[in-house]
Amino acid sequence: MSNLLQEIESQIAGLQTGLQRQNVGRVREIGDGVARIEGLTDAMMNEMLDFGNGVMGLALNLEETEVGAIILGDYTGIKEGQEVRTTGKLLQVPVGKGLLGRVVNTLGEPLDGKGPITPTTFYPVEKIAPGIIKRRSVNQPVQTGIMAIDAMIPIGRGQRELIIGDRSTGKTTLGLDTMINNARLNRAAEEAGDKDYRPLYSIYVAIGQKQSNIANVIRVLEENGALPYTIVVVAAASDSATSQYLAPFAGCALGEWFMDHGMDALIIYDDLSKHATAYRQVSLVLKRPSGREAYPGDVFYLHSRLLERSARLNEKYGNGSLTALPIIETQMGDVSAYIPTNVISITDGQIYLETDLFYQGVRPAISVGLSVSRVGSAAQIKAMKQVAGRIKGDLAQFRELAAFAQFGSDLDAKTQALIARGRRIVEIFKQPQYQPVPVELQVAILWAVQNNFLDDVPVEQVKAFQHRLSEFLTTRRAELLARLAREREIQPDLAEALKTALTEFKQLTA
Amino acid sequence: MRISKQARRIAKELFTLCRMDGRLDEARVRLVVGRLVSTRPRGYAGILHHFKRLVELDFARRAARVESAFPLPAELREGVQTSLTRRYGAGLHFTFLEKPELLGGLRVQVGSDVYDGTLAGRLAALAARFQT
Repeated sequence: MSNLLQEIESQIAGLQTGLQRQNVGRVREIGDGVARIEGLTDAMMNEMLDFGNGVMGLALNLEETEVGAIILGDYTGIKEGQEVRTTGKLLQVPVGKGLLGRVVNTLGEPLDGKGPITPTTFYPVEKIAPGIIKRRSVNQPVQTGIMAIDAMIPIGRGQRELIIGDRSTGKTTLGLDTMINNARLNRAAEEAGDKDYRPLYSIYVAIGQKQSNIANVIRVLEENGALPYTIVVVAAASDSATSQYLAPFAGCALGEWFMDHGMDALIIYDDLSKHATAYRQVSLVLKRPSGREAYPGDVFYLHSRLLERSARLNEKYGNGSLTALPIIETQMGDVSAYIPTNVISITDGQIYLETDLFYQGVRPAISVGLSVSRVGSAAQIKAMKQVAGRIKGDLAQFRELAAFAQFGSDLDAKTQALIARGRRIVEIFKQPQYQPVPVELQVAILWAVQNNFLDDVPVEQVKAFQHRLSEFLTTRRAELLARLAREREIQPDLAEALKTALTEFKQLTA
Repeated sequence: MRISKQARRIAKELFTLCRMDGRLDEARVRLVVGRLVSTRPRGYAGILHHFKRLVELDFARRAARVESAFPLPAELREGVQTSLTRRYGAGLHFTFLEKPELLGGLRVQVGSDVYDGTLAGRLAALAARFQT
């Protein structure tokens, strides 16, 4: 009883006894999640507005006589003439490790039925990106577990690498594989008590996607044990355009918390094409002037300010990082469309997925010619550099020569060898979804390719050979893989050990 | 009614001309409206509509609405008027209203600024605190 009285007393004490000036306005127009409000002379840009009954809005257009605001949540109960108040607060979301393993909406409210989230810290949704003083260049790798990416298009922590391709080419799968691989690495380091390992937490932002697809992503993450290291931010296709517009910024704020606290985080925006569409919708309803393809003039700034927030901080500022993997869906492979070119120019490289390759059975369908990582090679481990240095060139040569070989002309021995090598590399890089390969195993397999251990294996048997080799190395030569993972470099004695192991394997399988 | 950009611009210019010392001069407003109606320039209907809206908004900005649960004595009304004029400058249009549902205290609104000192307002704030 006394506790209850104390509680009531503290609530009463918390009330302001003096008169507070409030700034109010009245709804003049409401529709499509956007309200136009008269009054509110003190409203700030991006300020939260209180519509009463727990409905909040965000001031986006400050005009001479009125304020244009987007409604966060259900706008159907708002009526013309209703009173609106300024709050003096910017839009913020709860952040912290407490959100790991949870599925939340744009405002950080739980959607997974796992109980309420008790937030301790809030971060503003819109924040200025870290400046040049705080940053350092990329120097640690993000192990995606996808051989083609880790070998040829390496990603570093703090990098922004675009995943681009037509629909159903495996864009989301690349992101999921990366999250699964890093969850596996995090768990392994936790179990081994490795204090030096920097865990990489993931944030998956689903923008304008079908609920069924999102449910599938969550199921895959759960089945592969990646959900405990992941936060899923959902703004589904059935959510309002305003919520879809804000979702990536909310997800970014969640990631920034990890970065600011000296940790590493990875954020996947799936996808920014739908985000641009949602922003176009909001802008048109707000009556902002439209430009090319009816997108507003600041659609470039929309994505640049979002992606600039991904950074690698230097030691003085905590050494944290936020890596971004934005996804863009192209139409009929057109990378020169408005939004794709914008995002390509903002990011530090792109992974281009081709429909043709996908249907030829090359999965992941990464187009080696069009994919590039501008900064990631600085973060690649030395062992990988040693084995993968020539692979991109070899593959490019193979693609060129393969085109000639189709005409059936006689080829010299050297060209035939290059084509044979290329075919084997293509086979090696084929990888089933949700089965990331540890980097040490990738190095060992690529070392075998580079040192001609696969040259006598028929192309159609390369995949089976790779499976057997992986099994052999993980079960019977685990110490060799552990050494590779530890030393991260192939010294002559390690190369000798690899050679012995591979020779033994070949004798066993002969 | 759809008002063209040009009509809006002209209405805005006319509205600016009607201001004297930061306040709207009613005589000038009447003069402008009279001239617009008599000369009927191109797009005059749109100009008049937008001009009216600007005047309306200016009135709303200068409107002081004082609400109380019971009728206010004359000296208290004068006190409220004096202090609001001191704060917001001269030219306010005062309206005194009785609203028994406020229970007690005063609610003053000048333009979009609201000072809620009513008992009903305090109770609502307390209820909101308990809800959160």
